[in-house]
Amino acid sequence: MALQFNITKSFGSFNLDLSLELSTGLLVLFGPSGAGKSLTLKMISGLIKPDAGTVTVAGERVFDSVAGIDHPVRQRRTGYLFQEYALFPHMNVEQNIAYGIGGLRAPGVVDRVCELIEVMRLEGLERRYPGELSGGQKQRVALARTLATSPRVLLLDEPFSALDFQVREKLRADLLNIHRLYPVTTVVVTHDLEEAFMLSERIAVMNEGRIEQFGSREEVFYRPATKNVARFVGTRNIFTGRISSVTETEAVILHTDIGEVHAGLHNRSDVGSIHVGDEVVFCIRPEEIPVIRKDRTLERRVKDNVVEGEITAITGRGTTYLLYLKTLTGESTLKVELPNHVLRKLDLATGDSVRVSLKKESIWIIR
Amino acid sequence: MIDFFPLILTVKVSFVATLITVVVGLSLALLLARKSFVGKNVVDALIMQPLVIPPTVLGYYLLSLFGRSSGLGRFLEDALGFQIVFTWKGAVLAACISSLPLFIKPARAAIEGVGREMEDAARLLGKTEFQVIRTITLPLAWRGIAAGTVMAFARATGEFGATLMIAGNIPGLTQTMPIAIYDAVQAGEPGAANLMVAIITLFSFAVLYIAGRFSQNRF
Repeated sequence: MALQFNITKSFGSFNLDLSLELSTGLLVLFGPSGAGKSLTLKMISGLIKPDAGTVTVAGERVFDSVAGIDHPVRQRRTGYLFQEYALFPHMNVEQNIAYGIGGLRAPGVVDRVCELIEVMRLEGLERRYPGELSGGQKQRVALARTLATSPRVLLLDEPFSALDFQVREKLRADLLNIHRLYPVTTVVVTHDLEEAFMLSERIAVMNEGRIEQFGSREEVFYRPATKNVARFVGTRNIFTGRISSVTETEAVILHTDIGEVHAGLHNRSDVGSIHVGDEVVFCIRPEEIPVIRKDRTLERRVKDNVVEGEITAITGRGTTYLLYLKTLTGESTLKVELPNHVLRKLDLATGDSVRVSLKKESIWIIR
Repeated sequence: MIDFFPLILTVKVSFVATLITVVVGLSLALLLARKSFVGKNVVDALIMQPLVIPPTVLGYYLLSLFGRSSGLGRFLEDALGFQIVFTWKGAVLAACISSLPLFIKPARAAIEGVGREMEDAARLLGKTEFQVIRTITLPLAWRGIAAGTVMAFARATGEFGATLMIAGNIPGLTQTMPIAIYDAVQAGEPGAANLMVAIITLFSFAVLYIAGRFSQNRF
């Protein structure tokens, strides 16, 4: 087990309590700011002391509140990348990279530094000072400086937040390449959903000091374990209703404004725990809701839930538009995300009345 | 004939005092900048006292503390043969105490200005606390430390009140330049006074000029 921890920490009203095990590869710790993500990394590396618990790095117990073990930061050999990189401003690129391995004059260091400079595409910048580098270059120097010391785990704290939007995508791809070259067990902290998805198969969703869900990106995205996770991953339609009937494959939920909602119970293992009469939270992603064209009559027997509503607002989101649909009865609002060309073709405007289909396989019951 | 003794003594006292101030002051500045402990504010206020209390009062305190009438003074003299009062060492002590706050203020600010993450980054790369201070903190704070050193040296050179109290005004033994200037004026010797005043003025100007250059940031 490359990394294992089980820690608690309290600051006033904030309580952090989490445990995680990680063998190899790259894990994303995703959550809103203030969830305790950076704090977690700092406790693994020893920069902040947990109130209680254990931290094990590469099989070595580096912290154990019961046994009284608390290895100092320098002995933990955890690579750490700060948000702002924390390059030493009085040292040039070479000196920064060589710093952790005894400096440029130590034997063998020059070769190692050269290798890292090549891998990180920093050729020609060896003598530059951090103040003369771009954000992306700084990040690569900081990574090289950390990797030079052969860390046992790599902890990256919001590695792209200090960078321009345009270069982020490229640098994320770079990071994945570097990870392939130096397959150190890595934990990346981010509050950016897109980034979380691009970087890892496995995502731990954190909120208020706890891990709310730990799973594959598909699970987290389409089958959120909690209402908070659903919100964090952009599931903008979250409702509460009551189960009115349930079979092996389908449950019917009664919602005061939307009416009867049929929800597929495919690929879930806990069907047995959904009972008639239960109050449940259910959700559907805005991009999973198709709009039914005005001229099309509903010939087929519609199994899926058709909801009619009035468009109260349309907001542009770049490549898509978000439609706010007020249900005919009540005050509920459905958010529907359509690609720009679809909206153009449908010729929809604020005030129009449209029908949408809440496809039953897209509805997820959170419970 | 001009007596060069006060000039030589002043230079000697200033160098020795500055050396001690830098060593002691750096430890205190690191302590105050990086550690939190009970009574930190009291220590801070105590160190800064010489900036606000009259030099004669400071000298009086030192005299009471290190004079033969005090236990400490007697112990130093009898047991260790170390006499402070009415010797050049007294002048060094007075200069140290008065220049310490002038050194600590900029040095501490500079050390506090070194990002915590910078030092943490060094620790994460396997460095000991001593290595962190030597390779990161001090190099990054050196401008403030240098500025403080210059200020401390200047203060030591110009120290008058406390020195007069503890080291006295013994020509050829403890008479430093500021005291010699006072003496010359009292004795109606404007020539000697003018020359020494010119030296001190030139020196002070140079000091402030150099300190100003140090305080411009490089990074």
